[in-house]
Amino acid sequence: MRRAALVALIVLAVAWPRLASSYLVFLASLVLVNAIVAIGLNLLSGYTHQLSFGHAGFLAIGAYTTALLGLPCLRLEGLYLTMATLAFGFVVTEAILNLDALTHGADGLRVPAARLGPWALTTDAARYYLVVAVAALLVVAALNLARMRVGRALLAIRESEIAAQASGVPVATWKTLAFALSAFYTGVAGGLFAWLIGTLSPDAFDVFLSVDFVVMIIVGGLGSVPGSIVGAAVVTLLNDVLAGFQNYRPLIFGSVLIGCMLFMPGGIASVWRRQTAP
Amino acid sequence: MKTWIAGLIVVVAALGIAGAPFAAAEPGVTDAEIVLGCSNSFSGPLAFTGEQATRFGVDLYFRAINDAGGINGRKVRTVYYDDGYKPQDAAANTKKLVEQDKIFAVIAPQGTPPVVATLDYLEENKVPLLFPFQGSPVTRGKKYVFSGMTLYDRQSRMMIDYLVGERKYKTFAVLYQDDEYGKAFLTAFEKDLGRHRLKLTATEPVKRGATDVSAQIAKLQAAKPQVTFLVLTPGPGAQALKERQKIGWTDTVMVSSGPLTDERYLALAADAAEDVEGLSLWPDPLTSDLTGVRQYREAMQKYFPKNEPNRYSLSGYFAALLFAEGAKRAGKGLTRDGVIAGLESIKGWESGILPPITIGPDHETQKQGFWVKVEKTRFKALTDWLKSE
Repeated sequence: MRRAALVALIVLAVAWPRLASSYLVFLASLVLVNAIVAIGLNLLSGYTHQLSFGHAGFLAIGAYTTALLGLPCLRLEGLYLTMATLAFGFVVTEAILNLDALTHGADGLRVPAARLGPWALTTDAARYYLVVAVAALLVVAALNLARMRVGRALLAIRESEIAAQASGVPVATWKTLAFALSAFYTGVAGGLFAWLIGTLSPDAFDVFLSVDFVVMIIVGGLGSVPGSIVGAAVVTLLNDVLAGFQNYRPLIFGSVLIGCMLFMPGGIASVWRRQTAP
Repeated sequence: MKTWIAGLIVVVAALGIAGAPFAAAEPGVTDAEIVLGCSNSFSGPLAFTGEQATRFGVDLYFRAINDAGGINGRKVRTVYYDDGYKPQDAAANTKKLVEQDKIFAVIAPQGTPPVVATLDYLEENKVPLLFPFQGSPVTRGKKYVFSGMTLYDRQSRMMIDYLVGERKYKTFAVLYQDDEYGKAFLTAFEKDLGRHRLKLTATEPVKRGATDVSAQIAKLQAAKPQVTFLVLTPGPGAQALKERQKIGWTDTVMVSSGPLTDERYLALAADAAEDVEGLSLWPDPLTSDLTGVRQYREAMQKYFPKNEPNRYSLSGYFAALLFAEGAKRAGKGLTRDGVIAGLESIKGWESGILPPITIGPDHETQKQGFWVKVEKTRFKALTDWLKSE
């Protein structure tokens, strides 16, 4: 049963550019890029219960940030970490605006097409396949990680930092690792995002984008990899579908989220678990 | 294990070979209808301008012309999606407009980052991008793109040439928003002053979202410029004017730049905005006697009586008017290339709103503005139309 579902999913993913218009292919790529960020954020929030509002910042500057911010902030806990990351999101936007020799400021940066050896990925389908391949790798890695020693250590930290420490889990180290991994995922997604959109500007990475990522993992389910993917899909597609409602978009979007929280407080993943539980 | 992998390969290969060729009718046009659309800000920082330009501007003109029989017998329908000023949403929305809604052309989208995110896609797919509401020169040199608003470098040239040439000012300072919009004007001012062998006396940046500009105003006052340019968004712009009034700095001419030059925004500073000068790109939507502006007000009164006339809806109205002119020239067999040729053929055309329009191969539809000064919260024109060529 599970294998059949997996095969169907692979066939659908591979065949998608043939079945759908280039707009839907682009949208699927965007969902997957967001899913990578959501999985990354979930590694941090879902497993260790730290909340980051700075992930748009990571998305913006890619994997480099791990080195810049990863270590000092990880000594912070709970709310303090959240505040630090919130500030970080703003810092990155400012930095991009002001390093204009490098980034061309708010004018935006044209991104050259991705190249794989001799092939330039210039069509939506080609970019989609690149995104699918990277996303598949990262999903498998995240699933394995969650079942490994590291995953159990992170879960222990989520349940109680003191208890985890008492049981011999080096809390600061694992939290650093979770943060670094999380930032790494988001950095990779940032690179894919750049190729996908073809142009970058700081307006793409405002603080509301970070909030969107947090929303994705809460709607999908904290601490669940499939939940992250579903959450990313729901938020991305909802945003897109609601674009036609123009001024009412934020209102409807907000109402849907409140509905989600009321009826599925544990996220979509928890509903799924309850449905399928024996 | 092996069989399902083999099956998978067969299915994937079959799907790879299948794939229908694309049908080749002109999208967005039937005998009865033309479909236009854009991605714009209906939420986010520019929601007001976005909504006014589209639903109360572009749609206003099309409702009027549809009721009068349409363009060559075709009614115009519009589709809009909200991007909240985000480039990635603008890219997705625009693909949706082109591929699902099958629009004929994009009309009046807003903001440099969202517009830039759709530029290459539209050019590659030969979809006209008409009159975006943004001033960065990045839209130049594309076959399917026609600029809207007078581009920032042209605005700067007109402002400097007028202030140096006519008014004989020699010392200039700039208080600018620390982003692309501010810096675009800053570099243009430097370049244009250079042509007159002049330099900026002082420049002070304002961070995005800052509300206190007292330090910058004090420093600028110390530099004693004859003219101080404000390249700011409405909030900090009003703050700067109030601060100047508070410290009694009167021996400088305050000049607002770009989209800030609007009574609605300058009114935020109340009487501190008195005597502020600037370059206006549009005639006064409330009081102008030009035939086109009168028709605009009459249409607004008829279709949206609760919506007060303003420059943003007027700019959208003008975009629709210009499209209609291009589409009429393209004739009954309307095609995208026909509209491009139709717009390129516009020479010395009277719109009744702006001075005669000539669109050449540079695809710039607006190249002018006129000098205004605030008197009792309204603009008073100090010059006739200034030209940037």
